[in-house]
Amino acid sequence: MDNVAPLPAVERPAGPSEVMAASDLVLGFGDATVMRDITVAFRRGTITALVGPSGSGKTTFLRSLNRMNDKVRGFWRRGEITLEGEDIHAPSVDPLVLRRRVGMVFQRPNPFPMSIQDNVIAGVKAHKMARRSQLRDVAETYLAQVGLWSAVADRLNDSPFRLSGGQQQLLCLARALAVEPEVLLLDEPTSSLDPRSTEAVEELVRRLTPELTVIIVTHNLAQAKRLSDNLILFSEGQLVETGATNALFERPKRQETARYLLGEAGALIRQ
Amino acid sequence: MASTTRVLAGPVAPPAGSIAWSRRVRSALWWSLCGLGLALLVAVVIWVLEGVVQSAIPGWRWSIFTEPTNGVGGGLSNTVVGTFVLMLGVGILAGLVGIGTGLFLSEMARPSPLTAVLRSASEVLSGIPSIVFGYTGYVALVVGLHWGFSLLAALIVLSLLVVPYVAKSTEIALNQVPLAYREGGEALGMAKTYLLRKIVVRSAVPGMATGIIVALAISVGETAPLLYTAGFSNSYPSGALTHAPVPYLTYATWTFWNEPTQAVRNLAFDSSVLLVVLVLGLVLAARLVVRLTQRYAPERSRAGRGAARARRGA
Repeated sequence: MDNVAPLPAVERPAGPSEVMAASDLVLGFGDATVMRDITVAFRRGTITALVGPSGSGKTTFLRSLNRMNDKVRGFWRRGEITLEGEDIHAPSVDPLVLRRRVGMVFQRPNPFPMSIQDNVIAGVKAHKMARRSQLRDVAETYLAQVGLWSAVADRLNDSPFRLSGGQQQLLCLARALAVEPEVLLLDEPTSSLDPRSTEAVEELVRRLTPELTVIIVTHNLAQAKRLSDNLILFSEGQLVETGATNALFERPKRQETARYLLGEAGALIRQ
Repeated sequence: MASTTRVLAGPVAPPAGSIAWSRRVRSALWWSLCGLGLALLVAVVIWVLEGVVQSAIPGWRWSIFTEPTNGVGGGLSNTVVGTFVLMLGVGILAGLVGIGTGLFLSEMARPSPLTAVLRSASEVLSGIPSIVFGYTGYVALVVGLHWGFSLLAALIVLSLLVVPYVAKSTEIALNQVPLAYREGGEALGMAKTYLLRKIVVRSAVPGMATGIIVALAISVGETAPLLYTAGFSNSYPSGALTHAPVPYLTYATWTFWNEPTQAVRNLAFDSSVLLVVLVLGLVLAARLVVRLTQRYAPERSRAGRGAARARRGA
């Protein structure tokens, strides 16, 4: 690409360009500090990839963004995370509402043990976001959005566990999208999928922006390069470098970034 | 190349005295021990069934379902009704208390001295012999509270007896619900109670139902605690909770075989058959519940033992 730093394709006219941000964030479990002094911002309508070696704290960080770690025993936090400028740990913030606004899809597809249709509308029903008579249409809308409708249209009442792994993950994406989040957190969403399913998920994620802001943890650097606008590299609980993905791949400022992105994944650990 | 060939050929024709040979012998030994255990178990079941049915056939009359006991003959209808009333009562009482306890232990309580005490109390309770329950019920309820032989005394004692089973199976069933279901619900912003109701408890239903049904089977087969608390009566259960003894099947099995008249002795064997059939029915009901509620479960679900197997067999 050229020297132009890739900006988000479309900016929403209203509101600041930052949807979420973390400042001086420190995370840990019990005596262990997992993440130190993370200050980072996520721009509206972009895809940000979190990369780094195993154990670098990417997932812990991601799960903090919708307070999924709150209930994990021993978890603690210092510093601030904001959503639309508002501290997500403020007493006035209901974590249930926060999680609806900041959705999450996990590494392994985790459909609920209920019919395919009920899976898609599980969150919609929980938040009473639609009338009973509209539920089927809601299910169709989001199944269509993730490209699953034609495959499951005639078996909406079947068990989701008879779908392929890739289809199950798309179903989980449909379920997450149905509650109309503003930010979508993806925790290695394709690591258990075959290449074709991975492509389908990536293609969907691309289509979701710029309406949605996506933050994705991935071990797959090629995927980060293909998919993301911005990149954040973590190592051993610290932020190594962040910036536009292309810029980082082409002109990394730091030596260890270059070595990690060039495939010497061990570079960061060996230091 | 040579080594590859050797490895491939190895298991097919093991040289005498090789590791593969001794492994096969050991394997065969263990398998036959397991097979023997299974055969012994099945043999006992067949033996009991055969003995009970053989003894009942000569004096079998279908009128036992319509006539109540009368001391010199008659049928068993009042004891059948009594047993079903007791079963229903235990199902409600022990079901509520046991499921409540299991839910509390699994979902609400954080590990603390209180839950440790509760858990061990439940374990101790399940180890107490049923006749001790019976006698305690007799002293405390029948005599102490002047209830007399009564439905309520019997229900309380039987429920105490089986609550630990229900609580434990509920707790285990809930603990086996995959974390992924819970996290999936949390990530959608579901409230804790909503998540519990709509997803967690639902996928634990097979295990919980199995616990209750086993509890019912136990209470159907109990005799000692009922002798102390329910008494016996030749009439149908009146519906009164206190001051009215309740007839039940195990009483007929326990006392009638020793009576002077052949007609009454026959009833002892008839009641045995009914008890066995009833327990069999309950076991089948448990299977059915597991099967019906596992419609959307993953193939290799751990919730509800044997569920996956039942599905594959379907």
